[in-house]
Amino acid sequence: MKSKAHRHQASFRDPSGYIVQDGSSFKRVINPIYFPVYDALCKADFFAPLFKAKMLIPHVEQERSDQSIILLPEQIELMTYPYEWSFEQYKQAALLTLKLQNYALDRDFSLKDASAYNVTFHRGKPIFIDTLSFDLYQKDSPWRAYKQFIGHFLAPLVLAHYHGAEALKMMQTHIDGIPAALAASMLPGRSKLSPTLYTNIHLMAKMEAKHKDEYTPKSRSIKLSKKSLRNLLRSLYDYINKLELKEQTEWGDYYNKTNYQPQSFDFKKQQIQKWIRSRAARKIIDLGGNDGTFARAILQDIDLAVVADIDHNAVASNYAQVKANKEVNMLPLWFDVAQPSPALGWANKERDSILSRLQVWGPEAVLALAVIHHITLSGNIPFEDSARFFAGLSSVLVIEFPKRDDSWVASLLERKREFINHFDHYNLQEFEQAYMRYFTIEEKVEIPGSQRVLYLMQTRE
Amino acid sequence: MMGYFSMMFLYFDPGLGAMLVQAIVAAAAGIVLFSKNFMYKVKSFFGLTKSQKDGIDTMDFEQDEKQPNEEQGS
Repeated sequence: MKSKAHRHQASFRDPSGYIVQDGSSFKRVINPIYFPVYDALCKADFFAPLFKAKMLIPHVEQERSDQSIILLPEQIELMTYPYEWSFEQYKQAALLTLKLQNYALDRDFSLKDASAYNVTFHRGKPIFIDTLSFDLYQKDSPWRAYKQFIGHFLAPLVLAHYHGAEALKMMQTHIDGIPAALAASMLPGRSKLSPTLYTNIHLMAKMEAKHKDEYTPKSRSIKLSKKSLRNLLRSLYDYINKLELKEQTEWGDYYNKTNYQPQSFDFKKQQIQKWIRSRAARKIIDLGGNDGTFARAILQDIDLAVVADIDHNAVASNYAQVKANKEVNMLPLWFDVAQPSPALGWANKERDSILSRLQVWGPEAVLALAVIHHITLSGNIPFEDSARFFAGLSSVLVIEFPKRDDSWVASLLERKREFINHFDHYNLQEFEQAYMRYFTIEEKVEIPGSQRVLYLMQTRE
Repeated sequence: MMGYFSMMFLYFDPGLGAMLVQAIVAAAAGIVLFSKNFMYKVKSFFGLTKSQKDGIDTMDFEQDEKQPNEEQGS
């Protein structure tokens, strides 16, 4: 590989190959050890139908030598990780993994790993990105990635089903998946009545505890017929397919709850559209973007809109619309501005923080609509710090400031009780003063029929 | 080829417990799937089956392939 290319730390675990960053593109290098499998996959025409079905990231073979084969995959704009997905996104990623394993078995291959990090969202859909995860199927062998599938997919989804979507965030502390024993201990007793949960989680936890100090003796071969393996996959698929989140409220009319006056809504929409067009920003991130209503209003001008929100229901509603409208340029992201996903794993380099991923992607504008009062009053984050944060993301900022008379702001202030005087700084003058240290105010308009002001700002120099 | 497989063995530990449990999981899954199929047949014999649920997903690949490409351009 060329010397300027450098190896990405997310791929060190698999000896079959690794990922390099060569200039602005990511490439996949295959080591000679994986050549026989790769050649068998090519010979079986394994990849093309998956590319067509948008289940596997398409690639072209770029170079081939005795030392390496280099694949250039279609580039992912912004990688999202499992703990940044809504329940439904997570579920679709799980179903995709099972579908791929079923497809592989049909052709005498098998997934050698089933990590949730092998899936990301691209052009509105979950897509499998680890091209080297396929291995030759060996007759009557069990699925070696089964344990990983349970820890990475079934356990978090089931825990979310019983305890709410927040359980999915456990993947942040369990990069190798949620251990069956932990999942079993958190599930209610009645979950043992489900044959799927009893066997895949409770029994698995018991068997793991029983055999934890043993290693596989060479003489002992564990056998499982392909038909049995398919039954296992099918039952997991059917179970996960039906799994729902209990907390899920009605979607679709989500925005009705956030009582906008129609004329204020339209004004705001048109103003944002005008500004985004004037800056020719085609990559935008909407922080606190709710269910994507505003980003969706300007979607025809956009290559990719990342809409982040702290509220799982909003992200879930957004993804439901992405699916229903078959949108390819909207990426829902479950994200807390006050606590962005950190860098994780080996040397803190295996999984990048969301902020460094966003910086690499390079949004051309940040929308922060009606979110500053939450950041400042709920998060207690000073204006200067939020200004520095936004300036670090993009050079263009469209920010909406709800004044003290806004009903939301008033209620947030009231909750401060005897400390209400500590928040006197929440006003237009102090906001502008702090933000002008990092930005110039290009335009400023009052939104009619509201207590809100909309700004277009540009970072200094 | 041997080198390849021995390396795969080191790649990550699939867990002996998890490998052993699969036979039991698969057997239970087989029973559940069989009884579901059986009940479906009984119900359809008596005309009690509901029409296909809206857009229910299946694990089988061929079904997906037939879906037309109808995505919006960005």
